[in-house]
Order: sequence, then structure tokens, then C-alpha cells
Amino acid sequence: MKYAFYPGCVSRGGCPELYPSAVKVADKLGIELDELKSVGCTGAGVLPQNISDPINARTFAKAEQLGLPIMTICSTCTGVMAQANYRLKEDPNYREKVNKEFLADEGLEYKGTTEVKHLLWVLFEDYGIERLQSLIQRPLKGLKVSPFYGCYLRRPPEAITPTKELNRRKSYLDELIGILGAEMADISGKGKCCGFPILSANEENSLAMVAKHTGESKENGADFMVTPCPLCHLNLDGNQQRAEAQTGKEIDLPILHLPQFVGLALGFDPNEMNLKRHIVSTGDVESKVNMIS
Amino acid sequence: MQVTFKVYRKDPEKDGKLSRSNYTLEVAEDATVLDSLLKIRDEIDSTLAFRGCCGRGYCGECMMRVNGSARLACTAKVPDYTKKGPEISLDPLRNVPVIKDLVFDWDAFMWNKIKAVKPWLEPEGSPVNGESLTSDAAMQDLRKVMSCFYCGMCDEGCTVLPVDFDFLGPAALTKAYRFAFDPRNKGSREQVKIVEKPKGIWDCVHCYEADEHCPRGIEPTKRIVALRDRAFNSGITHEAVARHHASFAASVKESGWLDEGRLAVESEGLTNVKGLMKLLPTAAKALVRGKAPIPYMHSKRPDADKIKKIFEKAEQEEK
Repeated sequence: MKYAFYPGCVSRGGCPELYPSAVKVADKLGIELDELKSVGCTGAGVLPQNISDPINARTFAKAEQLGLPIMTICSTCTGVMAQANYRLKEDPNYREKVNKEFLADEGLEYKGTTEVKHLLWVLFEDYGIERLQSLIQRPLKGLKVSPFYGCYLRRPPEAITPTKELNRRKSYLDELIGILGAEMADISGKGKCCGFPILSANEENSLAMVAKHTGESKENGADFMVTPCPLCHLNLDGNQQRAEAQTGKEIDLPILHLPQFVGLALGFDPNEMNLKRHIVSTGDVESKVNMIS
Repeated sequence: MQVTFKVYRKDPEKDGKLSRSNYTLEVAEDATVLDSLLKIRDEIDSTLAFRGCCGRGYCGECMMRVNGSARLACTAKVPDYTKKGPEISLDPLRNVPVIKDLVFDWDAFMWNKIKAVKPWLEPEGSPVNGESLTSDAAMQDLRKVMSCFYCGMCDEGCTVLPVDFDFLGPAALTKAYRFAFDPRNKGSREQVKIVEKPKGIWDCVHCYEADEHCPRGIEPTKRIVALRDRAFNSGITHEAVARHHASFAASVKESGWLDEGRLAVESEGLTNVKGLMKLLPTAAKALVRGKAPIPYMHSKRPDADKIKKIFEKAEQEEK
């Protein structure tokens, strides 16, 4: 099982704990990663489509040359690439235009066959839950966990949940919590935005969203929240204390990346999953996890 | 079939306090929620206030939450909502000022915001026989948008409105798109500038909730993204967003990917001491944890020159 790995900038920039955790977890699961190094940023929903679509088409063409599907560890990278891929696959004329105008100079062509998948989707759709279950060494019993998907991993339907069967993608994280032995602390906003995209335009609203989601999770008794999106992590973890200051309410909720969560259940030590690199202290989570083993 | 409707009540002429009235009644197997409400008002409680008009899912007047989800009461069939038991809860839309019971303030919710985006055409040239004609093909894209019947479902699903009621919201921003992208509109750039102001397109988190909620498939988020792309390509006028986007674009253009440290400081503005100071507490913590990306210490991706070439060509074409 092999993927063209697209780790995204945040997994080594603002969340440097994510990249090594994901690589360790993939290695333990026996998922081989061929990292795409000479490709560009997805645009992250900041760059306009007329610029980001050709850059993404180039990434898809590179993966196509390798004959591999792309695997990401970021909801935003997944969503932006899946939307661009939908446009390029769905409209051959558009693809031809992009190929001719932007990729032909390099001798590249995107034929429209590359698939883009988040690690979360890979676990359910390619790897198999039974296989994952057979590798669990530390069921996370007694831990209450809130899911937070990152909105790019939920919508729009034509790119993210194109079939009735794939509509299940909207509940993978919920399912995973039970599969890894933890208990669910559900929240109403798990599929909503974390507020990160408007941090520059309207910081007050952005922080209000952080307080809303993390506050609800805390009220529902969560030990931590898990997210497949490092941009959500930047806001929910990195800006949680600013959100507390804005609302005047203490929250103190650790936020774990998806690979860290999986890694703990696979038996990795919390230190190996770099939990100490978070802004909100993960001390209580580490103690509880260490009590299990 | 016998069903109990648990209806949200608020009467400003009394104490204005929130309560819930339960009405148990016999309704036909094919009855809609609106049929049931009319029966309650005619036979049980004439003080219950709600809106309804066309009865065919066309006018959007009877929008309310049925068992927690926004629905048109006139197309919501009772049996579809009683599968778990013979009870249905009815509430007004979320985050809107309620006037009485299920009747909420449409002006505050939507119309004032739609008015704010200058929803009219200022055509170039002089009209012929009072009409500003254009080709059918040129209007194809706008047809879908023009089928909006202002039900408010997109605003109901919006992620931003629950934290900021002053946000223009997807319905009004989609209206702005309708005129900004009209080929006859000479003031289209003007329209984009209106929605670029605070509480407009840059306050949208583009989470696509609105698209999932729209019963007409108008895809409001995609319209908002198109307005943003147009603003980007013709020069963003919102200062903070312009700084953020310029820094993002420059770092991808120069290195192929994002220099996050640079983005953080340049988004605040290099001469904005107060803004930069605000970053300090988080940056200090991040430094201690070994996770603060240092600005301008960013290496280029292999093939950065090829990515730059694509970037510049795409920019050039748009101009």
C-alpha cells in the first residue's frame, strides 16, 4: 500500500509535531509514503482558482506519473485539491486548457486519473478497519474525545461525498473514536468551521468560533478534541487562550492531531507523538494514557 | 394519525418570555406541517403566530425549524418527521430576532442586508425601449442565481451568523454576485467594493454550509468565492485581507509554498507595532514548544521556479 504523500506546509511549519507523528504512524501501519517534494501549495482557499487550479493540476500530474493516489494529512489541503480535481476531471475541455497553457511547457499532462485522499479516508476506504483494529495495542479506554473534522473535509458534496456510500465520510471520525476504544463527547459544531480562515479579516469572530467549539466540548466532558486538520489545530489550540481572554471563560482543552490519536492507540508513547509541542497543555491526557498502558 | 406539536412561543405583548405549547391533534396521513399549523390555529389556539403563503414550496414564507432542521413547513410532510415517535418540535430559525412565536424579523434577518449590497443594475449605454438587452448565453450563469426565492435557508445554515449577526450572510452576498457578474453592469467593480467592506465577503469562512442548505442548488458559497477571486485579481481593497493575501501569494510565488512565519507578521503589517505585539504571547509560547516558524528562513521547494512560472502566467491571463 503506497501513496504519493502531500504533507502540506503546516505539518512542518506551524504544527511541526504533525509531520513526524504521521510518518511514524504510517510506518507502523505499513503504509508506504513517497513524498511529493517538487510540487506547490494548494492555495488553501486563499489563492484564486485561476492560479491554484493549474498549480494543483501540476501536483496531480506528478502523482499520476508515479501511478499513485495522493494522501494528505490536512483537511484544507484535501478539500482544496479535491475541489480542483473535481473541476479538472469533470470538464475535459478545462483540463485540456490547463494542460496546454500551464503544464505543456514542462512536458507534463494531467490525464484526470489521480485520486486525493486524507489519511482518515485511507484508513476506512483502503486500509480497512479490521486491519487497524488488529494493530491496536492500547485501546483508549476511559478517555472522552470530541471529533472536529475541519469543514473542508465535509463539503462540497460533489468533491467530498460524491456517492451515497461516501457520505459516510461525514462520520468517519465519530466512528474512529469508538474503534480506538475511546468514548464520544459529541459537539454540535463538529462539521463547522473553526474560524481560522477569517483570522485576518475578523479576529473577534474567529476567536468566538474557537470558544464556541472548544467550550461545548469541555462542557460535554471531553478530555481532548481530535482533528484531521492542522489549520483547525492552529486556531483551536494555538489561539484557545486568546479565545478564553475574549470570552472571559476558561476552556483548557487539549487538541490532538488525527495521527497522534491513532498513534496513541497503536501503542506509541505520548512523547513519540510530540504531544508536548502543543500550546494547550496535554499533561492530563498524557497521564491518563500512561495509566492505560 | 395523532401527533403532538411542541411549538416555540414568545409573546412580546405579554411578558415576552420563551415557552413551549403542546398541541395534540389528528392530522391526515399526507398532511404537511403547515396544514397542521393552520388546523391548530383554526381549531385549538387562535393566538399562535406563524407565516405561510403559497403552500407549494415557492415563496419561502413558512421557513422554520422542524425537529431542529430548517424546512419549509408547506413541503415538510408530517410522516417524515414522526418516524421516531408522534412528536414534532417547531421553532423559528436560529439567530434571528423573533417577533412573535414562529414569526421572525425578516428585515433584520435578510432584507436590510440585501438592500445594503445595492441590488440593482446600472447598465452601460442607454436602454433600448426601456430595456437593457444582452444575449441569452451571457446570462446563462446568472439564471440559477436569479431563481433564489429568499427562503433564508442559506443564512440559517451559515457558520458565521451565529457568532456575528451583522455579517451580511450568504443570501445578500449571493445577491451581490448576481449584479456584480451581470455583463451589463457598469458598476460591477463598485459592487465588489461594497461587499469587500467588513462584514462582507472576507468575513465568510467558505465552509460550504450554505450550499448544502440551499433548496435551489444556487451554491451561495461558490458565488462568494467567485466574488473573492474577482477582488483578488483586481486588487483587494480590505486592508488587513489585502496584506494577508499579498503575503500568501508572494511566498507561494517565490518559494512554491507558504512561509507561515512571514504570513503571520506580514498579515499584521510590518509597521503595525500594536498588531505585532498582539502576536507575542502566542509566539513566545510557540517558541518554547519549538513550533514557531521563523519568518523569512523558509527554503524554496524543488521546482519553485516552475511553480512561479505557472503563477505568473495565470496572473497575467486574468489581467
